Order: sequence, then structure tokens, then C-alpha cells
Amino acid sequence: MIADRYTDWQVHAPTIESDIAIANIAQDELGHARLWYDLLEDFGYTEPDLIWERDPDAFRHSTLCELPFAEGDWADAIVRSYLYDEAEHLRLGALEESSSPRIRDRIGKVTSEEDYHREHAENWLRRLAGGDEGRKRVQEAVDRLFPYALGLFEPVDEVEDDIDDLGLRTRPLEDMRAEWVETVTDTLTAIGIDVERPRIEDGRVAEEDLPEHVGRDGDHTEHWRTQFDEITNTYRELERHDATRLMEDPDDE
Amino acid sequence: MDLETVKERAGPREFSPEDDMPEEYRKAATRMIQFHANSEIMGAYLERPFIREAPSVERKLAYSAKVQDELGHGQLLYRAAESLGIKSRDQMLDELANGEGKFLNCFHYPMESWVEVPMIAFFVDGAAMRRQATLRRSSWEPYAHAMDKVCFEEGFHIKHGESILAELASGSKKEQEMVQNAFETWWPRIIQFFGPTDDKSTHHDFAAEVGLKQMSNDGLRQAFLNSYVPKAEEYGLEIPDTPTIEHDEETDTYEIAEDELDWDEFFTVSKNEYEGGKHQINARKEAQEAVAWVRESLDESEAATGGHAPQAAD
Repeated sequence: MIADRYTDWQVHAPTIESDIAIANIAQDELGHARLWYDLLEDFGYTEPDLIWERDPDAFRHSTLCELPFAEGDWADAIVRSYLYDEAEHLRLGALEESSSPRIRDRIGKVTSEEDYHREHAENWLRRLAGGDEGRKRVQEAVDRLFPYALGLFEPVDEVEDDIDDLGLRTRPLEDMRAEWVETVTDTLTAIGIDVERPRIEDGRVAEEDLPEHVGRDGDHTEHWRTQFDEITNTYRELERHDATRLMEDPDDE
Repeated sequence: MDLETVKERAGPREFSPEDDMPEEYRKAATRMIQFHANSEIMGAYLERPFIREAPSVERKLAYSAKVQDELGHGQLLYRAAESLGIKSRDQMLDELANGEGKFLNCFHYPMESWVEVPMIAFFVDGAAMRRQATLRRSSWEPYAHAMDKVCFEEGFHIKHGESILAELASGSKKEQEMVQNAFETWWPRIIQFFGPTDDKSTHHDFAAEVGLKQMSNDGLRQAFLNSYVPKAEEYGLEIPDTPTIEHDEETDTYEIAEDELDWDEFFTVSKNEYEGGKHQINARKEAQEAVAWVRESLDESEAATGGHAPQAAD
């Protein structure tokens, strides 16, 4: 979903060079989505089950990924990708020693591309924060997006305990969230952006520090329905029943 | 170098920024390459919303890559145009935003449905490929060189477009009807892609004399029809009745009743005065203005640090 949002920047970014860079990032994220969907298909699901014919209320992505960009708000794109990519970096790290070999196999490729995304976002953050207008806009984006980004570490439901117990991931969400908060608040503070650490109650982020709609609990923003309708528009219009595969199975690549 | 020498020497990749080219040559080459670069950007602008609409993850991936490639071609071509010393890239991008920059006729029309994707990505790109392949022999070396990369990547785009067309053409009856309707709408525009017959084309003579162009509009249109009429038929598309096209079996060439095409519309489009095209131009301009603050703040920080501002990994 975040890749889908990034594509809104294609042919809309500030320069041709930044346009090509954000397109690259969108494609990397789409490519990673493809790898994970493919893994789910090994359990008997199909792409239509997972996306095209799925009930939009059943999606469990963080609402950070579905918020539309205001026109021209490049600071939002940069802050969002920074917050997201730092979180993804930690979440991927917790899968490197996964008890599932197929998960482990996918990590190497994904991690190397994510390193570039973090570098891209951090460089842009510094560049933008170096000027008055840019810093003001970065601050506004951080104020708005930080609670949504915290939602990236919210549990979907009790399945999170099974994921930890089975060793599918080697670090619980709480633990990763704590590190993420330290890293991003340190970086943002160092470039002159104000950000407060969230209040923690019983190991969880206090409700008032989370957004109204978290997403991972199944509760989405009003924007999600529109995005989902647009994404699935052609599939529905053409009355499709399957999704075209063009590439080799990633497990055979 | 005087014009007579240019005409004498006008072979493939004959001239580079090291040659002292007459202004007339540099202006003609700038006009041609700028048009080409603008077309890449406006084509990408037109197609971009369909990344979201693509009905499979892998189609999205392929489509996003294609749109990115077109931007890359624009970047490459503006550089080749800049190397003539007439206009800077910023100037050319400003002209595009202001509605002064010209671009391909097909990218002035709105695109509303996925079934129109192969009209651009197979037929228009296929037509462009014909022209671009001959431009690898252009006399302006940076242009010809850019065409090597462009043609290489366009080959993949056409395969992507053909694969979408093949899928629609072998799909449900509804899909087949939708794609036929789209084809009927787009076909006359696609034929007009190559412009009017050579005797009506204003810029051709000089561009051909100095080797910028290596093949005439008529020759290109013929080559396109020779390969794309059979391809369209192979996918079950019916060639629309207008304009009348007659196939000469003996010479294996196609004769088009050119007068049946709407040239008033074509020239309105060419002058950036067609409503749909104006909308595209202005919408892109607004999008570019909305991020002007980023370009301004980059310029500021560069000025403040004497060009030593941290570089983004872009």
C-alpha cells in the first residue's frame, strides 16, 4: 500500500532525478510485496484472495501506508519513507534468524534495497531541514505522521504471540518499537525537529499517542476505501477472476 | 562550420559538441530533441495513474518500471538537447509547463481505462520505436547515442504493451469489445503520429538535409503499417473503416486515404490548443508548481554552502 502511494509521486516529484529515485523505491516495495504474497500463495492462497477479492475491512496494514499525500508535500513523502523504512529495517532484522527457511531466504534481497531507501530518506531529511521552509514542512509532517508510524508496531491480534512463540521472528514488536523510537527521535532531534517519545503504559503505547485509526487492528481511515476501490477498479471493471503472473516464481529465481 | 559543409558531411553520428555547428543546425536539433524529451515526460504523465489501476502485482511492477524509464529517457534527451548550447534543461521544462513546449499528438488525449493502455504501450510505443530506431543514425551524436538506451528499453515496453493487449484480446467478450472500442478511438491518432505527408511537413527538409532525421514521415508510416496492421489483426482487432486503407499485394504497401483524417484537430493538438491536452499540460504545471518550494530550498542551501550541501542519494 505504501508503494501504491509512492506511485502518486511518479512524474510529480520536484526534479527528474528525485522522480526516478522515488519510482525506484516504489518498485522495490512492490517487489517485496510480491515476494511476501508469493510466500503466502505457498500456503494455498491466491493473489485474488489476498488482494483483489479480499474484503477491504480484512486488511491489516498500518494507516501510515494509506494516507494520501497533499499535493506538493514532498516533506511528507520523505518523512513517511524515513519513519517506515527505519521500522522495516528493524522488522526485517528480526526475520533474519526466522525459524521459517522461506522467510529467511527472502530477507537478503529485501534488506539490501531497504538500506538504499534509508540512505535516500535520511539524506533528503537533512537537505530539507537545512532551510527554513523545508524545516517547517518536515516538522509539520513529523507532527502529523509520528502517531501513525507508531502504529507500525501495534499488534494485529493474539497472532503476534504465536509469531514470537514459533520463532517466526526473533524479537517482539515492543522491543523493536522501543529501538525505533530511540533511533528516529535521536535523528530528528539532531536535525532540529521537535519530537516527543510516546508514553508507555504496561508495555504499550498510550492510546492518546496513537492515531484515531491504527489500521493493524482492522480499523482504517476513510481514505482506505477510496484507495482500495481505485486499486481494484480495473479488476472489477473487466470482471477478472485471476491476477496475471509475468515473472518466474521467486523461489526458482 | 558552414551549412554547406554540414550538408556534405551529414552522416550518422557525424557531429558532436566538439564541432563548431552553425546556429541553424543547433536550433533545428534542439527543436527536435526537445520535442522528443517533452513527449517522454508527457507520455509518462498520461500513463502514471494506471500503475494504480493495473490488475495484478506483477503488472504494477512492470508498469511502474516503464513510467520510470520514460522519465529517464526525458532526462537523457534533455541532456542531449542541452549539449547544443541553445537552451538549458530548466528553460525547456519551463516551456513545457507554460504550454510552449510541443510534444506528440497522442499524449494530448485523455486516457480513461486500462483497455487503453496497449493503445499507448503497444501501438504508440511501437510507432515511436520505428522512428527512434532510425534516429540511432542521426547526425547529432549525443542524440543518436541516447537512442541506443531508449530503443533497448522501449523493446521491453512494447512487449509489456503487447502482453496486455494479448490478454485483453483473449479475455471475455466484454474485454474484447472494450479493447476494440478503444482501438477505434485511438487508431486515427496513431496514424497521425507520423504527421502529415512529407510535402506538408514544414521541418522535414532541413532536418533531413543535415542528417538529423534519417527517414521521412511517409517511410516511417509505411514501415509501421506493414508490421502493425497484421499484428492488430492477429489479436482479433478490426481495422476501423476510417481512414480507408488499401493494401497493395504486389508491393506489400498500404495506401491511406489521408484526407479522411481530421487534420484540423491534429494541428490544434500540435499547437497545444486541444482541450484535453491543455488540461494535461496545466495539471502537470500545477503539480510542478506545488513542489517549486523544494527546488527553491535546494538552490538556497546550495548557495549558502557554496555548493557543498549534502547530496541526496537520488
